[in-house]
Amino acid sequence: MSSTAAIEVDDLSKSYADETVLQEVSFAVESGEFCVVMGPSGSGKSTLLGCIAGLVEHDSGTVRLSGESAETVPVRSRDLGYVFQEFEDTLFPHMTVAENVAFGLEQQDADHDRAEVDSRIDEMLDLLAIPDTRDSLPTELSGGQQQRVELARQLVRQTDILLLDDPLADLDYKLQKRMELEMRDIHAEMNSSFLYVTHNQDQALKLADKLVVLNRGRVEQIGTPEAVYYRPASAFVGRFVGDSNPFVGAVTADDEAEGEVSVETGIGRMAATVQGGHPADDRRALAMVRPESVAFDSAAEGRDNVFTARLIDWTYMGEETEYAFEVDGLDYVLQAVSRGRPTVTEADLGTTVPVGWDRADTLCFETVSSAPTVTVDDLMRV
Amino acid sequence: MSDTEPRAEKSVGTTAEQTEADTSSEETATRETVLDVSGLTKIYPDGTLAVDDIDFSVNAGNFCVIIGPSGCGKSTTLHSLVGKVEATEGTITLDGTEITETETYDRDIGLVFQDFQLFPHLTVEENVRYGLERLDLPADEADQRVSTIMETMQLSGATGRDPGELSAGQKQRVALARSLVLEPKLLLLDEPLGDMDYKLQKRMERELLEIHREFDTTFVYVTHDQTQAMRLADQIVVMNDGNVEQSDPVDAVYNTPETAFVATFVGDSNILRGTVGGTSEDGSVARVETDLGQFETRTDNLDAEPSEVVGTDLAFSIRPQHLTLGEDVRNTVRCRVEDVITRPGKGAQVVLSPLSAPTAELQLRSWEAVSAREGDEITVGWTPADAVMLDRTSVVEGIDLETDILGE
Repeated sequence: MSSTAAIEVDDLSKSYADETVLQEVSFAVESGEFCVVMGPSGSGKSTLLGCIAGLVEHDSGTVRLSGESAETVPVRSRDLGYVFQEFEDTLFPHMTVAENVAFGLEQQDADHDRAEVDSRIDEMLDLLAIPDTRDSLPTELSGGQQQRVELARQLVRQTDILLLDDPLADLDYKLQKRMELEMRDIHAEMNSSFLYVTHNQDQALKLADKLVVLNRGRVEQIGTPEAVYYRPASAFVGRFVGDSNPFVGAVTADDEAEGEVSVETGIGRMAATVQGGHPADDRRALAMVRPESVAFDSAAEGRDNVFTARLIDWTYMGEETEYAFEVDGLDYVLQAVSRGRPTVTEADLGTTVPVGWDRADTLCFETVSSAPTVTVDDLMRV
Repeated sequence: MSDTEPRAEKSVGTTAEQTEADTSSEETATRETVLDVSGLTKIYPDGTLAVDDIDFSVNAGNFCVIIGPSGCGKSTTLHSLVGKVEATEGTITLDGTEITETETYDRDIGLVFQDFQLFPHLTVEENVRYGLERLDLPADEADQRVSTIMETMQLSGATGRDPGELSAGQKQRVALARSLVLEPKLLLLDEPLGDMDYKLQKRMERELLEIHREFDTTFVYVTHDQTQAMRLADQIVVMNDGNVEQSDPVDAVYNTPETAFVATFVGDSNILRGTVGGTSEDGSVARVETDLGQFETRTDNLDAEPSEVVGTDLAFSIRPQHLTLGEDVRNTVRCRVEDVITRPGKGAQVVLSPLSAPTAELQLRSWEAVSAREGDEITVGWTPADAVMLDRTSVVEGIDLETDILGE
């Protein structure tokens, strides 16, 4: 790891009583990078942020901020901002928006010129599109506006590192989408390093330069959104990130090429591509295909894996349509998705059609999860 | 199915597809109406007009979702249906019988609460059996109903357990079983999947759809979450400020919105506004002069005759996925690329500012990777068939397009 990384976490572990919350977590956030940590609830995301901020004491391992060991830097002097999820509790109710934002600056030791403070506040409120709220009290603002004041208060300090704990989680859909764009703008403009925690997959995949996937306190994968989505390192990552149809069965190697296997699943033999090494023959492993890779009707013909299915429902969602199929030998409903309007009508419900997908889109995993207690069967229900 | 297959590759919103959509909504209309709300008005004692003379109906077996921003009256509407709120005016008719004045427990309507609200001191089976007491069924029929629904809901292994020990998925199934065992004519769901982990929420939505399919009961589901509404609904009722903006099948609400409010609230939308300069000879296409240039739009969404709108100011909507890169379409705008956001598995979103009006913003959604980068100047366009004219900003008086809908 380069010593110029903004945040370097090495072998970090943390337990509460007999519960291990973080287990030998290592990763780095390079200077200027937008790094997003995602994982199920209870995976250790927020504890990890707390350890980096100095709000939670870790048991072992090291945290380095801009190359310096965090232990030598008192919490107050750490050059980082922290945006909490529960922003309502962090704004001062008796102070105006401008006073709340100024408070962020006054916390820093430097002597700030009054006029300079004012102009930086204005600049920040402009950037966040809330200039009219300058003299309002937090209670007079909508949730989205309050969240932006909290952001402004941290951003105005222009710290090299900003930690964000699911800051858009409580906003409604439209505002969330708007703020995702603003978040990218702000990051680009500030040139700071962001470490951003979220349970929202879409947001994680859209915002991140680098993703860290956590599960039960362990790192499952570090990579770009593309790598994590298309080349998951474990069955857990494959199932947790994005949507997928899972299958389970004994694996046998195919002769043709490296990485090509067959999986003996409940619906029949399936040609698959192995992710990360080769599972032992006859081992029970998980294979999966994403809904957008499932073709049906005439488009299914000629695919590497073709099965007979019954169309039981579809849901038109504007941009795309999701289809539900029953397949003999499968105890859940197989999902397919296509762009735009449905290609079927009411009359097609209940009809039998071929469904198919290619070997390249059928991922089979050597590693179930970096957490040893996770089983293939756990992942069928994710 | 195979004769409709080629449409999979076509863009949405062509006139041919519109005709098809109209046919399918007629098909749904042939299904029996189970719920009819007519002139429903609710004025609270403090004078607040929460629901203002609304009409809508729901067909048997439909999954109807009522959506709208907070304070739009959707909760009051739901509570009027269930009888927890007394209507000031109007009628509610369920399966041909007026129930406006009927006591809650005699309405034959089930209700699933936010957070499910199971009885914590009762076992799973006791929770499910609870409401049956009131029906006075013969004991063996009651037992039969309970055991059948426990099996269908995959709860047979959990009969003696406490609700506190259940997973979120199991809790949802118990809550649904508790209502569905009464075989109600209508099941109301009050934002049951509100505050939930993203992944879990999607799994619960899928289960809910499966249960709806299995039981063929009419569901009316209230939420403020547009994406959830789109994932669940056959029919959407869009409410705003105590009024119904539109009540239609999903396809019609999304592709032929009645108002600018609906176009922006349901799904993402680019809204442009201008003066109608004229129409084609048959009136099917109008020419609109906007700040960004002159564009052609289809007119079949208008309530008014196309010739009547010439000279007036109107808005039209284009969905981001209908904006394309390149100049080979009828309407084009030269833009600067402000941002490109890729989402693996879902393509890219491009934020654009038109060169002739840099403060305006257009959004383009592409399923393929986009090579354009921030700062590039590119031409984007759309076909007249994908531009939907909007008669009104909103059914609510005094709502302004710029400040109330396009602003924040």
